[in-house]
Amino acid sequence: MSIGGIEGIPGVGGFTPFVPPTVPATPSAPAVGGAPSVGGVGRAGGPDFGELVLDGLDRLDGVQRTADQLSVQAATGDLQNIHDYTIAATQAAVTTQVTVAVRNKAVEAFTEIMRMQV
Amino acid sequence: MSAFESLRIAGSGLGMHQTWLDALSHNIANIGTVRSTAEDAFQAQLVVAESREDGGVRVREIALSSAEGRMTYQPDHPLADEAGYVRLPDTEMSDQMAELIMAQRGFQASAQVTKFAQDTYQTAIGIGQR
Repeated sequence: MSIGGIEGIPGVGGFTPFVPPTVPATPSAPAVGGAPSVGGVGRAGGPDFGELVLDGLDRLDGVQRTADQLSVQAATGDLQNIHDYTIAATQAAVTTQVTVAVRNKAVEAFTEIMRMQV
Repeated sequence: MSAFESLRIAGSGLGMHQTWLDALSHNIANIGTVRSTAEDAFQAQLVVAESREDGGVRVREIALSSAEGRMTYQPDHPLADEAGYVRLPDTEMSDQMAELIMAQRGFQASAQVTKFAQDTYQTAIGIGQR
């Protein structure tokens, strides 16, 4: 379903319309007849989950560093705009919450698998 | 960071309105600044805003009101010329006060946008949580 009218309005600029992210196609199924090799499942194409988490943590560190610098500026009286700090702090908080949410999902999946009856 | 576009855009709005508020407080503080007729009158700062290509707003320039000012007859003023005139700024307190309310409301609106953006992010984080 697309809303064609919105993109068609001339002069509406300044922001890019939302484009849903494309997920890379699922890796092709293992060859029929042969047992799938250990560790070969889901590894074809795209970064693995650990890399994603590490990348997220790196970004989180950068965002929190920015917020920390601005909070020091606020304390020393060097802060030019109050909203610069509050926005950076909000970004840091939301990014932290996203990272924790991803972590919780991973742990949830792990415990779910550990609870499996064998 | 593209995930925080609405926050960044609202932040640019906050910054522009902050500059506007600063300019208005400067103008109001100098509403009674008297100059001699030999020099320019106090020139009020007028913030010119423009939209940004990547979204948001910025201050293009800070224009100045007329340097001619308002010639006022105050013969007992120490800066008065031989004819008894001085220059007062060509700004009205009522105009500045009305603009002050507009700038304040604009700032509050941008702040409200950041609040809504934060609520939206919280909703997105909450998807799938039990």
